[in-house]
Amino acid sequence: MKARKKTNSQLFFNGILKENPIFRLALSMCPAVGISTSVMNGILLGVAVLFVQVFSSCTISAIKNYIHPRIRIPTYTLTIATWVTVIDLMLAAFVPAAYKEMGIFVKLIVAFAIITMRLETFACKNPVGPSFWDGVGMGLGFTFGMVALGLVRELLGMGTILGYDVLGFRPLLFFVLPAAGFFCVGLMMAVFNYMEIVYNRRRKAL
Amino acid sequence: MKEILRIIIGLTISCLVAAVVMGSVFAITDRAKKHNEHVKVQETMLGLLGYGKANPPPSELRFATIYRYILNENGNIRLGYMLPVFENGRETFEFMIVTPDGDFVEKLPLKIEPDAASEGPERETALKSALKRSTIFSFADSSIVALKGKDRIAYLLPSEFPGFKTFVKVMLALDARFSVIGLEIMEHEEDPGLGAEIAQPYFKNQFKGKAFDRLKELKVVKEPLPDEYKLALEGKALGKGAVSREEVDALRQKYQGKDIFAITGATISSRAVTDGVINAAKKFSYRLKALEKVIAAQQIAVAF
Repeated sequence: MKARKKTNSQLFFNGILKENPIFRLALSMCPAVGISTSVMNGILLGVAVLFVQVFSSCTISAIKNYIHPRIRIPTYTLTIATWVTVIDLMLAAFVPAAYKEMGIFVKLIVAFAIITMRLETFACKNPVGPSFWDGVGMGLGFTFGMVALGLVRELLGMGTILGYDVLGFRPLLFFVLPAAGFFCVGLMMAVFNYMEIVYNRRRKAL
Repeated sequence: MKEILRIIIGLTISCLVAAVVMGSVFAITDRAKKHNEHVKVQETMLGLLGYGKANPPPSELRFATIYRYILNENGNIRLGYMLPVFENGRETFEFMIVTPDGDFVEKLPLKIEPDAASEGPERETALKSALKRSTIFSFADSSIVALKGKDRIAYLLPSEFPGFKTFVKVMLALDARFSVIGLEIMEHEEDPGLGAEIAQPYFKNQFKGKAFDRLKELKVVKEPLPDEYKLALEGKALGKGAVSREEVDALRQKYQGKDIFAITGATISSRAVTDGVINAAKKFSYRLKALEKVIAAQQIAVAF
């Protein structure tokens, strides 16, 4: 996968399907398991990650030549922490309505593996433009993963979608508990792997 | 050696840059943030009393805040109450010092405008000029008395206690007989989907209407929340048209004597909030009684 240059749109879709952070790269599993109990949680956390990922990726790729290779990880953490703080304060000051919903999610992001990982594997080797698209793709991919998990778990656990009663009863409360998060992630991964196998087989046949 | 120096310098510079960025953002946003918090507190206070956009508060509604301080006068621990008082028809503050057992020590006038009193640093400067130099004081908590004309309609208690992760900040509303009017979670960092559910109506509304005597013995039970009760707590049953307001009230009545149903997967958070609420109510009722005794004995014209 290396060496080959990817176009921006490829980078964008790369994060959503081919290298989906949750289902393909298996990164940031803590939030994937812990927080994906409802669709709304998934959307809020996904959007928060999207912003932090894009800003951090751009910052790191802009200053990559000035970072000493041996202190790159602390620098990544520092960058992420700075952006998280900035976004947190800005939201609290200027968009209090959004802060009320997103406040707790934004603060969680500092320790997310996906962001550090993308900075390490992509942003520090590529110019700002591709890093931006990679960040957007990864952020959306994460959102997609969280929403997909949230959909399954909310529907099966609470019988609702986005808080609206769909089924009228609760099929399996178990699904909102953390343990079920692992099952859902595992099953989704299986689906993704199966899709890849089918896709590759078709391509070979052509 | 040169390598190490370069690493040190690089890391120091990155830290400094990050610090400058964060600091300047803080400086820019601090004011607006404080303002938003102030507005939020005001809205919460009115909301707990049942006032909102649809039901605007009456003009005679006013709030009087009592600030409690802990003093250390040369090794003697004292309690300091900053009381809103009426003086020649104007509202101002007086500082009353009592012993922890509730005996009166002294009373000092404070130079502070009522509007400025809600700001911690402003109160501190006023107290510094009023108290002896050697006295060490620290802010403990504040209690707000909601009044309609001269009648006390509620006590609003901002309170803080440890949750599952960090502190949970709440605002508890009690009526004149210390029964719970409502509970609002102001700030918390519990886990989304688990502990964060404490802010959901189906949990926080369980406290509503609990009488003081019941509240003192309130426990957390690990039983599933009955569906009809959940709907009543969320007020959702109303919207469906099938259930009337009376029926919702009847449902709430039915579960009035019950303990608090724990949140699934977040028993610790549920317990922390319940204990915090019980504590806040108990301590406040005890302190208020002691305080009123002193106020009556000293004949202070308090504004609440």
